[in-house]
Order: sequence, then structure tokens, then C-alpha cells
Amino acid sequence: MADDPYKALGLNKNASQDDIKRAYRRIAKTDHPDLNSDPVAHDRFKAAAAAYELLRDPEQRARFDRGEIDASGQERQQRHYYREYAESDDNPYRQHQGFDDLSDVFSDLFGRGGGGGGGSWRGGAKSFDMRGPDQRFTLEIDFMTAARGGSTRITMPDGSVLDVKIPEGAHDGQVVRLRGRGGAGMGDGPPGDALLTLIVAEDPDWRRDGDDVETILPITIDEAVLGGKVEAETIDGPVMLTIPRGASSGQKLRLKGRGLRGEGGRRGDQHVILKIVMPSRIDAELEHFMEQWRRDHAYDPRGRR
Amino acid sequence: MTQRHYTLSETLEAVSDLTAEQLERYVSSGVVVPVQSEQGPLFREIDLARLNLVVDLAEGYHLDDEALALVLSLIDQLHGLRGDMRAILDAVAREPAETRLRLKTAIREVRVVTR
Repeated sequence: MADDPYKALGLNKNASQDDIKRAYRRIAKTDHPDLNSDPVAHDRFKAAAAAYELLRDPEQRARFDRGEIDASGQERQQRHYYREYAESDDNPYRQHQGFDDLSDVFSDLFGRGGGGGGGSWRGGAKSFDMRGPDQRFTLEIDFMTAARGGSTRITMPDGSVLDVKIPEGAHDGQVVRLRGRGGAGMGDGPPGDALLTLIVAEDPDWRRDGDDVETILPITIDEAVLGGKVEAETIDGPVMLTIPRGASSGQKLRLKGRGLRGEGGRRGDQHVILKIVMPSRIDAELEHFMEQWRRDHAYDPRGRR
Repeated sequence: MTQRHYTLSETLEAVSDLTAEQLERYVSSGVVVPVQSEQGPLFREIDLARLNLVVDLAEGYHLDDEALALVLSLIDQLHGLRGDMRAILDAVAREPAETRLRLKTAIREVRVVTR
């Protein structure tokens, strides 16, 4: 950023807060990188935006004027322009309407479906009925809702509340179609559909690998040594899991058919990774026993690589 | 997916000169379409960048919501086409020299008829 933020805005130190705002708005109008692809304009905008960020708050401006902070020290993290996101093929705001003359070539080259999102004419030349446009939304759901299926309540942008059915085993990027919940139709045309793209939120306890899931099961040292039955969480609720005698941390136990419902209707597996957890306090008895035990039974788990 | 999501108040904090009322209006008119979740709307990085642009456009040009929607749709089309164009140019650049020459000739015939 320029050394002098006032200069970046074409002002001097006596400028009022209004002047500052107006100067920034003026530069944003002509030089905004989303509107103007000229690199010189980009540099001007960048300097002006950084200057505005520093001077827009009167208190911060006063601190700068007194020399308590300098221009570069206050720079916010690099601002991201809309075009950085908007140019990518999966920009959710680009609904691929229009360009009918190009759409054949484009769907051929880019593998997109025709003019998707546009309305289709119905009823021939005599009527003006048109199906409403499909509207796209993104919906975030938690892991268990995705795994078990269920319904989640969302508020649509127009304020109406909808219960959305999530299919069992839903995955990231899956699209749920809500018939008739899109844009209103014209004339007697039916409304379009709402298309919800699902995002499955990460869950610290559940890792997903295709249709398989992975969980970590903490066990005590006595369970590790002696084996035993321990309760483990699955998608369907808790089950009793048999820990083998002499289990180690990192050992994987497979629960067949306890994973996610796959495309073909078959369920994947759940892999339970054991993790031995020490008691919160090593008491004298345990310490004494271990010292005794080590004397005769020392072993080297690192030796056999 | 590890993508940062911003709540309503985090979004208001991150985007300068955006009021809660404006944001609510932009959401209900579909200018921005946040991710829905049971905890309420969540805004992605792209939504924040879009809101920054929306504020600059709305304030700079005094656009009402309808005009704003039109301008944004044009910008979306432009950016989308620019991305497509870049992809095509990259693809062309990977072709051997004689293919590029052939394309250049074809483009001249189609596009630069006068001259």
C-alpha cells in the first residue's frame, strides 16, 4: 500500500470522514477489479481499499495521524475479490442461463447439461405459460443426519420454513431436489424446483472413507491386556464390541455392514481403531506392579521394524 | 470439506459498511445465497467476496435491489465466461504449433472478416 493513505485516496490530512468515504467509493466505481480488468486500475483500487480500511474508523484514523500506528501495520489480510471465486466452474451463483447459441459447444466441451436452470416453454405458441426457474441452494448437515438419513429444517431466503428429507447415506455434493419449491412459474406454468447441494460437516469422531466409516475407541489398559466387551458407538446406536486379549493402540476392528448405505443399497463397514488410554493418575500400586513386571518381562516394541 | 464458514455476526464483522438490515435484505432477495444449516445461514468465502462487491456497487452507484441483481447477474456471466475462455486458451496452448496455427486461421475467418 502507498506510504500515505491520504494520497491513495487523492486527499490530504484535513479531509472529513465523508470525503474519505466518497473518495473511496469513487475509486471503487471506476477501478474495482470485478468491473475493470486493467492491472493499473487494480493497483489503484488495492491502495484505496487499504487506505479506506485504515481511515474509515475515526479513532483508528486519529491514532494513525498521531503516528501511533503506521499504514502497513494496519493492513488487513489480503482482500479477496469476487472474481477469484466467480471464475471457477463451480461458482454457485452462475446458473448457466442464456448463451443458447453457445450452449451446445459449451456442454460438449465442459460436460455441462444444456442451458440448465432456464425455463422450458410449454403449451405451444398460443400460451405464455412457462415453468419457473430452478433455484440452487447449499445445505450443510451434520454427519449423523447424513449417515442415518432424516429430516432437517431450513429457512428459505423468502422466509418460509421447509423440512428437507435427507436420504440415508447422503454424501458431500449430493443434490436433493424439492419439487415445486423453486421460482414461481409464469402464467399457468408450474413453479421450478429447489436444488439443494449437500455439504456434510466434518465430525471429530467419525471419519468417512467412501462407504466405510472409521471411529476411535478409547480402552483402558486392563481391557487391552485382558480383553473384554466394550460398548462402541455405531451409526445405528451402541453395540457391544469384543476387544481381543492383548490389544494394541491403532489395532483396527471391523464391524461389517455398519458403514454407510452405498449407491447399490449395500452398507459399507465400520472400522474401530483402538486407543489405549492410561488412568488419569498412576497410583503406587500400578507403579509397583509395573516395576516388578518389567524386571522379568521387558520387551522392545520398536525392535522389529 | 474444510471450508471456513462465517455466521451472520462474523459476516457483518468481516464486510465493511454492511448493516444487518442490508444483509437480511440481500439474503431474502437472493443477492447472496448462504449455506443453510440448522444453526441458521452460514456464509462462505465466496459469499463474503460477493458481499464486498455488493456493498461497493450499491454504495458507489446507488443501485436499488433490482438493478443490483441485474448487474450481479451480468458480472456472474462475465466471470464465468472469462473462466471458460481461460480454460479454452489453456487447452489451445497445449496443442502442437500446427493445430494452433489452424485454429488461428479459422478464428480469423470467422471473427475478423472485415480488414
